[in-house]
Amino acid sequence: MLVLKALQLEPMHGWGITERIEQWSEQVLQLGQGTLYPALYRLERQGLIRSEWKVTANNRRARYYALTRDGRKYFADELAQWRRMSRAINLVLEAAL
Amino acid sequence: MKQLWRRLQSMAGRRRIESGLSEEIQFHLDQQTQKNIRAGMTPDEARRQAFVRFGGVERVKEQTRDEFRPALFEDFLRDVQYGARLLRRTPAFAAVAILTLALGIGAATAVFSVVDGVLLRPLPYPDPDRLVRLFQVDASGRRNNTVSEPNFLDWQRNARSFAFMAELSPGPAPVSTGGEASMVSGSSVSRDFFDVMGVSPAIGRRFLDDELRVGGAPAAIISHRFWTTRYNSAPLSGLTIRIGGRLHQIVGVMPPAFDYPPASEYWYPRELSPPQTSRTAHNWMVLARVASHLAVEEAQRELSAVSRAMKAQHGDGTWMSDAAALPLREQLTAAARPVLLLLFGAAVLLLVIACLNVSNLQLARASTRHRELAVRLAVGADRGRITRQLLAEALVLATAAGAVGSLIAYGGVRALLLLQPANLPRITDVRVDGGVLLFALAAAVLTAALLGLVTALRTSSTQLRDSLNEGQRTVAGGRGERVRQGLVVAQVALTIVLLAGAGLLARSFMAVMDVNLGYRTAGSTLIDATWNSTPDPGLQRRRVDTQRDILADLQRLPGVQSVGLVSSFPLGAGFFPNGRFLEMTRQDELSSREDLARLGDQAKERAGFAGYRIASAGYFAAMGIPLLRGRLFDERDGPDAAHVAVISESLANSKWPQQDPIGRFVQFGNMDGDLRGFRIIGVVGDVRELSPETLPGPLFYAHYRQRTASRISMVMRSQTPSGLAETARQVIRRYDPDVPLQVRTVEDALERTLAGRRFSLLLVAAFSACALVLATLGIYGLMAYLVAQRTREIGIRLALGADARDVLRIVVGRGVLLAVIGVGVGIAASAGLTRLLEGMLFGVSATDPVAFAAVMTITLVAVLAASYLPARRAMGVAPVVAMRAD
Repeated sequence: MLVLKALQLEPMHGWGITERIEQWSEQVLQLGQGTLYPALYRLERQGLIRSEWKVTANNRRARYYALTRDGRKYFADELAQWRRMSRAINLVLEAAL
Repeated sequence: MKQLWRRLQSMAGRRRIESGLSEEIQFHLDQQTQKNIRAGMTPDEARRQAFVRFGGVERVKEQTRDEFRPALFEDFLRDVQYGARLLRRTPAFAAVAILTLALGIGAATAVFSVVDGVLLRPLPYPDPDRLVRLFQVDASGRRNNTVSEPNFLDWQRNARSFAFMAELSPGPAPVSTGGEASMVSGSSVSRDFFDVMGVSPAIGRRFLDDELRVGGAPAAIISHRFWTTRYNSAPLSGLTIRIGGRLHQIVGVMPPAFDYPPASEYWYPRELSPPQTSRTAHNWMVLARVASHLAVEEAQRELSAVSRAMKAQHGDGTWMSDAAALPLREQLTAAARPVLLLLFGAAVLLLVIACLNVSNLQLARASTRHRELAVRLAVGADRGRITRQLLAEALVLATAAGAVGSLIAYGGVRALLLLQPANLPRITDVRVDGGVLLFALAAAVLTAALLGLVTALRTSSTQLRDSLNEGQRTVAGGRGERVRQGLVVAQVALTIVLLAGAGLLARSFMAVMDVNLGYRTAGSTLIDATWNSTPDPGLQRRRVDTQRDILADLQRLPGVQSVGLVSSFPLGAGFFPNGRFLEMTRQDELSSREDLARLGDQAKERAGFAGYRIASAGYFAAMGIPLLRGRLFDERDGPDAAHVAVISESLANSKWPQQDPIGRFVQFGNMDGDLRGFRIIGVVGDVRELSPETLPGPLFYAHYRQRTASRISMVMRSQTPSGLAETARQVIRRYDPDVPLQVRTVEDALERTLAGRRFSLLLVAAFSACALVLATLGIYGLMAYLVAQRTREIGIRLALGADARDVLRIVVGRGVLLAVIGVGVGIAASAGLTRLLEGMLFGVSATDPVAFAAVMTITLVAVLAASYLPARRAMGVAPVVAMRAD
């Protein structure tokens, strides 16, 4: 989910994704950065993202990941689902006694 | 297909992805490092932090690789290669493990191929599940093997559930195909037999209507086997076969696979002889094919209703109260089923023991590989990967074992068939084929799974730190050791179960050998001779004279002590007719069948039941059957004298308890139609006729010169039995060149009846011997390993002044403790399991203490020996060496 969100705006390389997620979550979510790669390969295999090698701003070769159409649709579905769930959970937790 | 293509593609792209992954991770780390430097860290610190944030690089790579399709498959191939390489590096371990497993798989597969051929495979006839055999069921609920013809005809007329029904009468008869006659098995079959079986002759034709009537042209159909061996596959036109004196034209040859009734070589129409009218003359086997729209159970219900209606109509006129329809396959193999299932169980136990043993070996090896595995774990390989690798190794082992095991099975099946030719039904259906090999494969895969899982569970549950340390020095048993000890206990327990089974079978065998048969078997030669039966009294008279002359000539042969003849030789394959007799007040009280029938129904207390035999006086002497009271037949009892009889002790005791049977009169004319009464002149000892296991039945002996039998067995007792057979054959040939003769020793006849018992005993004993060897090896291996591991501890003990005997005690004590636990568990399990054997036991109970004690002793001795050797080595440990062992 988070990876898909990170890729919504623009294609990115692995390190960029970890940076983006940490930034957005105000450093709360600090995953082992390594755990990202199996997830990326899995998403790619599922056809939700695709990758290509590009040259970065400071002239290094890096692999950029981008959302596919399936990926966008999947993300939208999941997001809606997530919202429903978290809203429900919030409602329960914050219910006035 | 698409999947496969993707896999191939992705395998090809594998290297590219792999290097891409490395580059990508490198890039990531560099970026992080630079970011850290920007945040003010020194370059070294920045790099270190980057690694920390990232986590284990190798681990990530492994996990990411798992995401590649078909990583799993390819990993697996690599694991297999790796496993095979490892095994090549340790050939001794590989050889022992593969042989052990191969033994288990081979034994299980060999027995399975027999089970498959005999019990599982459908009969080789169309729609075989519709074939049933019909039985009369008597008032006491017993199924009778034979049916009377009027009952059969009523079934055929009234039961609508059967498409076809046929009666047949299988048995050997004197058969000649041109040369000397010999006894050959065949069947007289009624019209619909071939429709019931659903098979027609492969060559030639079925019987024509004109051949299916009294006085019709005698025709016969022969088996393919008989056609090729006796007629060299000659064209049918003009081929004849002489069956029981009558010449039959051969009109057809059955297909090679057709074998019913088992071992039949020819079939001829029952309709050639006149119908039988007695509802109590039980001479026929009845087969039927259930109509295609009905289940066997429905047919059974209808048959049962029809039969009960027949009983209501005929009352005492028929002995049938009910009827049963049993699937032919079940009925054919019913006798062999328990033996085969027993053997299969034993073979599976052996396979499990083999698995446990190899698993144990693998564990021992795994502990020496701990450091290798620990290093792999440390650099980030996850436990699943390691489990998969161990599984792959196990698979390599099991596959090799499966291949060797299939060879063992192939040889084993051939050996089995040699060992047990006659007593097993459907033996021709036994072979090692695709299905059986599939079984071997399944056994191998299951074995691998079991092996790999046990080993992997044990290995991967070990803590990383422990393994790294434990590899250094071990003092006393850790977890792994407990697992291995458990395996040894299980092996010992299973071995005990097998040994207990073998012990009980052996005790039964000894008990059977010990049985007092009532006659001697050593040194006697047996000649079966079968004359064609004839209703002509003149011919009968001449035949009896011939028999007398033959006996006299045989008696004169050098070395012969006594000679006799009997109509049904004990342990023989012939008939053992029995029936109801009546006691009479005087010898000629009854003179007509009507009188006999009337009196029989009126005076039930006069009736008795006995087997009816015809014998000469010399028979009792030659067999060593003692005369207990009265006299035997002698010269006074000629053909024209009053008929006399000798009875067995059990008949005397059951019919005339506390009274003297001698001088009493008996009417037994329903056996041969001769209504002249008998006077009882003597009582002889009981004999076990059918087999050593069956109790002696009441017997009635008539004199051969007064009552005729076409089928006789001559017994010759001599000091020099060898060579006698041929001389005797020549003597008989001088009198009758055509009569079929079969010569063998009485011991052979006894041997035949014991063949089945010997077969199961031999196999179970062989299996348990293998099991014992494996279990002993297992204990030896464990002990040797423990001693090696504890060298240091032992050294310290010795250095501190412990006696070498203490060391011995510790090591052997450990082995014995394991064995005692195993024996305890095994005995408890056996006590339950041997009950399944009960039907095969004779003269011992399923929990026979002698057998169990012997089994325990054998096992404990083996275990002691297996622990003593490593212990000896431990005693010899020099403290200094031990301390330096690491």
